[in-house]
Amino acid sequence: MSRSYDRALTVFSPDGHLFQVDYAMEAVRRGTCAVGTRGKDVVVLGVEKKSALQLQDPRTVRKVAKLDDHVCLAFAGLTADGRILIDKARVECQSHRLTVEDPVTIEYITKHIAGIQQKYTQSGGVRPFGVSTLVVGFDPNDVKPRLYQTEPSGIYSAWKATAVGRSSKTVREFLEKNYKEDQSRDDTIRLTIKSLLEVVQTGAKNIEITVMESYGKITELKNEEIEEIVKSIEAEKEAEAERKRNRTAAVAQTAAGLGRDPSLVQTGGAGGVDSGAGSTESGHQ
Amino acid sequence: MTECSFGITGKDFVLLASDQSAGRSIIKMKSDENKIRQLSPSLCMAYGGEPGDTENFVDFVERNLRLYQIRHNIELAPAPASAYIRRILAEAIRSRRPYVVSLLLGGYDKIKDESHLYWMDPYGTKVKVPYTANGLGIYVALSTMDKYWYPDITREEAGQLLKRCIDEVKLRLAYQFSFNAVEIDKDGVREYKLDGSA
Amino acid sequence: MEAISMAGTVLAILSKEGVVMVAEKKVTGKLLDLSLTSSGGEGLEAWTGGGAEKIFLLNNNILAGVAGITSDANSLVNYARTAAQKHLFSYDEEIPVEMLAQRLCDLKQGYTQYGGLRPFGVSLLYIGHDPIHGFQLYHSDPSGNYSGWKATCIGANNSNAQSLLKQDYKDEITLEEAKALALKIMSKTMDSTKLGSEKLEFATMTLDPATQLPLAKIFRSAELDELLRKYELGGTSDSEVGVGQGTGGGSGGDTSISVST
Repeated sequence: MSRSYDRALTVFSPDGHLFQVDYAMEAVRRGTCAVGTRGKDVVVLGVEKKSALQLQDPRTVRKVAKLDDHVCLAFAGLTADGRILIDKARVECQSHRLTVEDPVTIEYITKHIAGIQQKYTQSGGVRPFGVSTLVVGFDPNDVKPRLYQTEPSGIYSAWKATAVGRSSKTVREFLEKNYKEDQSRDDTIRLTIKSLLEVVQTGAKNIEITVMESYGKITELKNEEIEEIVKSIEAEKEAEAERKRNRTAAVAQTAAGLGRDPSLVQTGGAGGVDSGAGSTESGHQ
Repeated sequence: MTECSFGITGKDFVLLASDQSAGRSIIKMKSDENKIRQLSPSLCMAYGGEPGDTENFVDFVERNLRLYQIRHNIELAPAPASAYIRRILAEAIRSRRPYVVSLLLGGYDKIKDESHLYWMDPYGTKVKVPYTANGLGIYVALSTMDKYWYPDITREEAGQLLKRCIDEVKLRLAYQFSFNAVEIDKDGVREYKLDGSA
Repeated sequence: MEAISMAGTVLAILSKEGVVMVAEKKVTGKLLDLSLTSSGGEGLEAWTGGGAEKIFLLNNNILAGVAGITSDANSLVNYARTAAQKHLFSYDEEIPVEMLAQRLCDLKQGYTQYGGLRPFGVSLLYIGHDPIHGFQLYHSDPSGNYSGWKATCIGANNSNAQSLLKQDYKDEITLEEAKALALKIMSKTMDSTKLGSEKLEFATMTLDPATQLPLAKIFRSAELDELLRKYELGGTSDSEVGVGQGTGGGSGGDTSISVST
């Protein structure tokens, strides 16, 4: 054991920080954005999808993974790390079924994922996972939609709506302002897309939406459906252009107060390095 | 062992039937136990053997095939699945913790459009067969199958053949069985009604 | 990453009838004896092929091209071959292409996360066939990312070749056209004007017309030269083959090349 202690990569800095964990968070911040929103009896995952290059096979560009019949996971950060974490979670889902003959609850699998992430901040000779995850689903024999988030440090928390990845702060602020309790399926999807549009400039073709309506009922929205919603959102924005402008000005003001200009964040993000599927990945581990 | 199961393939389907008795030795404790397990969208297993071993084994196989499927987003076709199951049996019997399980594995390969039926014993023997029986059915029904089965057998004829086999079991065996059955094809697995055969 | 952008280019193109892969071999010196490098061939013979440098047969249905540190690549190839055989052992079927790519990427990811180990300095292209998704082409990088492609390339000048591919690739490309396109782009991105088998490795994955099973072919030098002559891109005449005529490569500043091909 002492050997593994000697080889620990993650050590406290004098002011109590774990630098490796902070760096992992940075990797997450550079990953593409993922949003989770809970409605009355639905939970929606929306992710910013890096557009597949012209000659790329879109089948192999995935950001949302099914862990079991009733659990979905989206992540932001290093793709390869995400894949490994997903694999570990999938094994646990089946292993849990084998041991207790019941599917995992959403909280259980979230706790498990967070536990793995925590282990990699403390064990010797390893670096933390550079991913934050959103875990959504329905518990067996339950109708309440669930949404959890995990971080590289191993923290996990339940949310009504949240975002991880690039510009997640902007998105979360948007969600805080616009979230309503007990929304219908369509409203929840709409809110998710709307919040993603805050950071995704390119519109529908770079958005992927996964909807869970009940235990085991998972649908992925088709591109056309998303496009339609995006169009109607844009139309709505057009109609409320005046009010919208006022609001943006107000947001800009408050943001400026925080030393952050939203328009700068947005343009910077669009041109910035994208760790979602980029080849520059290993640059920021 | 007091158990009995049948498998019959046609060009585009497989019928699997199994007795429903649970018990020990000559004592029957239950006559409506389901001993056919669906392992993946178009794969089923009718199993028999040491009670307890069977459940452990089938649970293990089911969960591992599911894991394979969710990990790779691919359903394992019957042929590789049979190889995997055989290996588990073959390795277990030569370890300290053997599974005493024999089984019929029926499935439909959606890519190659073929029906598959395998017979396996606890030693890890695997045979791909067009029709077969397991347990006590071997003694009384194989000749019936030899006589009536042919490669292009239709679903109706296969159903009739299954009924003949079950009738033979009732006629010849002292032990009373009830049966259930499933039908597997390109659309997946469905319960197959055995009218008045119980 | 740096090692890879210096490495010899590997390029692959997907078509309905098969996949083509071509790789640039760096000839490190005039006295390098190429006569002993293996010859290649079709099907089982392909196991002996690849010049042991850029293109390797990983399994009967999968070929890989590597760019990066050669010794790292050799160890990855070894791992991949073992993984493929393990799959065959467990499931009695050839390993699906994506699964093998994923296996290797899991390993590569591990090397970036666990202490005391440095990451593999290798990018790979995998071409192959399985009954599930048909012909496929994947790319993986040292971090453990992978993705599927219709046509792509790695190694030196890859952005150049990539844009040429984007320009000339069309979805209904035939195998013959893919071969021609691959060699044409290669001739444009490589420094030397005249291509020859001593500077290239070439392989295809097709279906055996008789059995409909995957058929790997690593071209022998004579076959490759014939192909090059057909497309009028060069080709060394038969008498010269195997002598390693030093048609380029081994000039002064190439000291690092022996480690990264």
